[in-house]
Parts: sequence; C-alpha cells; structure tokens
Amino acid sequence: MNIVVVTAGLSVPSSTRLLADRLAAAVGDRVDGADLRVIELRDHAKDIANHLVTGFPPPSLREALDAVVSSDALIAVTPIFNASYSGLFKSFFDLIEPDALTGKPVIIGATGGTPRHSLALEHAVRPLFTYLHAVVVPTSVYAASEDWGNTDGLDTRVARAAGELAGLLTGRAPSPRPAEPELIPFEAQLAALRPQRSAN
Amino acid sequence: MSSILTLWGTPSAVSRTGIVAEHVATRLAAAGHRVDRLAVRDLPATALLHADTSDPVLRDALRLVEKADALVVASPVYKASYSGVLKTFLDVLPQFALRGKSVLPVLTGGTPAHVLALDYALRPVLTSLGATHVAQGWFVHESFVHPAATPGPDPDPHTGAPAEPADPADRVHRVDPDGVAPLLELVDAFSARLFAEGEAR
Repeated sequence: MNIVVVTAGLSVPSSTRLLADRLAAAVGDRVDGADLRVIELRDHAKDIANHLVTGFPPPSLREALDAVVSSDALIAVTPIFNASYSGLFKSFFDLIEPDALTGKPVIIGATGGTPRHSLALEHAVRPLFTYLHAVVVPTSVYAASEDWGNTDGLDTRVARAAGELAGLLTGRAPSPRPAEPELIPFEAQLAALRPQRSAN
Repeated sequence: MSSILTLWGTPSAVSRTGIVAEHVATRLAAAGHRVDRLAVRDLPATALLHADTSDPVLRDALRLVEKADALVVASPVYKASYSGVLKTFLDVLPQFALRGKSVLPVLTGGTPAHVLALDYALRPVLTSLGATHVAQGWFVHESFVHPAATPGPDPDPHTGAPAEPADPADRVHRVDPDGVAPLLELVDAFSARLFAEGEAR
C-alpha cells in the first residue's frame, strides 16, 4: 500500500510536519505493508510557482505529483492561514487534474495557533477534496498550539482518523465506538439501595 | 437614529443566546436607536414550518424585518452551525429581505473550535439574503453568560413561595463584562456606522 503524506508546513521544525508524522505513524500501525512517503511542499515551493505560470513541472515536482496521484491513500496536512488552507497547499492541489484523485481515501489535517480556526478543515479543506472526488474520512484532525501540551484529545482524533482510513483501505469497518455504559433501570437502582430486611 | 431588529433563534425560553441578544439590544437602545426584539421561538411553529404568511403573528414578524434599517442576528452554535430554529425564520423571508440593511451576526457556543461557524455558516446566509453590509461579528463563549438561577425545589418554609437563589447575584441574568467587551466594541462600531449612514440619507 502506497500512502503519501503531503505536508505544507513552512518552517523547520514545523508543527504541521509533526501532525503529518503522527497521522502517518497511526496509519502505518493499522495498515499491513504500508509504504509511507512524505512530500514536504516547502521543498517544491519554487517549482510549484513555476509550474503554475509556465504549465510545465520540473522533474522533481512531476515525480511528487505522480506519487500523489498513483498512491493508494493520501494524508494531507496544511497550516491554517487567514482561516483557510495555506496558499502553498492550495497551489499544489491546483496542479492536480480535476479527476486524478477520484475515489482516493484521504485524511485531512491542519494546524493553527488558535482552536478558533478548527472549522477551516470542514469548510475549506474538505470541500477542496470533495471537489476532486476524493473520499475524505469523517474525522478531520486539527491541532492547535495548546493541543501539543496535552495530546490526549489529539491522540484520540489521530487514532480515529487513521482507523477510518485503514477501514477504507482494507474494506473493513473502522473499530466500533466504545460501548455505551449499560443502562440500569431506575427500579433496579432503587432496589439495590433498599435495606435488606433481616429474617427473624 | 436607526430602527434595529434584534433577532435570535434558539429553542429554549431562557438561553444564553437570548441573554446576549438582549445585552446587545440594550446597548443599541442606550445609544439612541429604536430597537425591536424578535425571538423565533415565540412565533407559531406550524405557520413557520408551513411558511404560512397569512398567519398574523408571522406576518407581523416579517413586517419587523422589512421596516428595520439594520438587524442583529444571533444564534447558538448547533452541530458546528447556526440553529435550525433561526433558519426556519430566515427561510420564510423574501429572497432579498436584507437588501439595503446592515447586519451584525452573533453566535454563542461552548467550544472555540466552532468560532468559524460565524464566517463560514452564518455570514453566507445573511449575504445570500442580500444584506448590504454584514459587519464583523462575534462568537461569545457560553462560559461568559450566566442565566439567572431557577428557584430551588423546596419552597421557603415561612412564605411557601419558591425559594430564591441564596446569592442575590444569581437572581438575574448576568454576562461577564470582560467576556463580552469585544462584542460591545463591535456593537458600538455598528451603531456608529448606522448613525453615519442615517446622516448621509
């Protein structure tokens, strides 16, 4: 299984890359024989700009685009700038043919300085991949700065998204939700409280 | 002075959204505007859902929108968007009901993760209704809004009346001044803009 990770972080180290690596590791744990490859868009930034204006990709960018298109699944992670995906992220996917991602399972992830921009994933990133006819898993993963201090919630979302992607790749349903606690009828609770009458 | 309609859509009789909307309405009235208030919850549900504009109460509500120069539109965040209750009313408005009007959008919600519902969900529907200007809105976190405590279950032993909350401060709705300060700044800017527009007319 070829799984390609596209990350649009700008700095080194980058929290976007950190999230991409977490998602990749979680998917790798759940998919047998997963062959993971990370594409850092910052390495292709100049080529992406040149391709947009000239219409021709340099070989290294061509190879990256081919890897995305021919992958079995995609993990796409962008920083959130101005309440949306970054320009670099969008520019890269603008170079993909409109039908090239049809049916491809995708996890979308994003990082930002504030949890206030979480919904950019649902309102900006998800529609982009829907337009490209990709199959985006229900759980999108947003990591705000504060999520890196206590990663419990983040870990849960990463695991859920990875499980959903693995389910799409292996054709099995993602792991079921944890069972709801069993409901004890009120009468039974009351009966349990009633003092036992001692036999005399 | 402008005529402003404060409109909010929440299913509960006492809601944080309603408290915030009232706070904004009071602020605008104090600035010298004529302020009307409309809670979608108070409209007849059947007429609303059947878009029965022959219903006198619904017709009066539509008339309030029509004659307003500006609106404050407030909703709780449900399922990462505005409430269905608000939308049922927006759905019976004429297609360009907000043409020529300024609108201030306000949301209340429990998680900052849903702040963008303001700009991705509420703003587009207001724009689609033809609003001339949708002002910068604000999301108020619910922890800043404190509905009055309801009377306790045990009646007062002397009077038999419902017991009042122990702390007098809990007997009225409250908002944390710090929590709504950014909203009130936007309300004041909205108000100033309306005065400027009124002078230009």
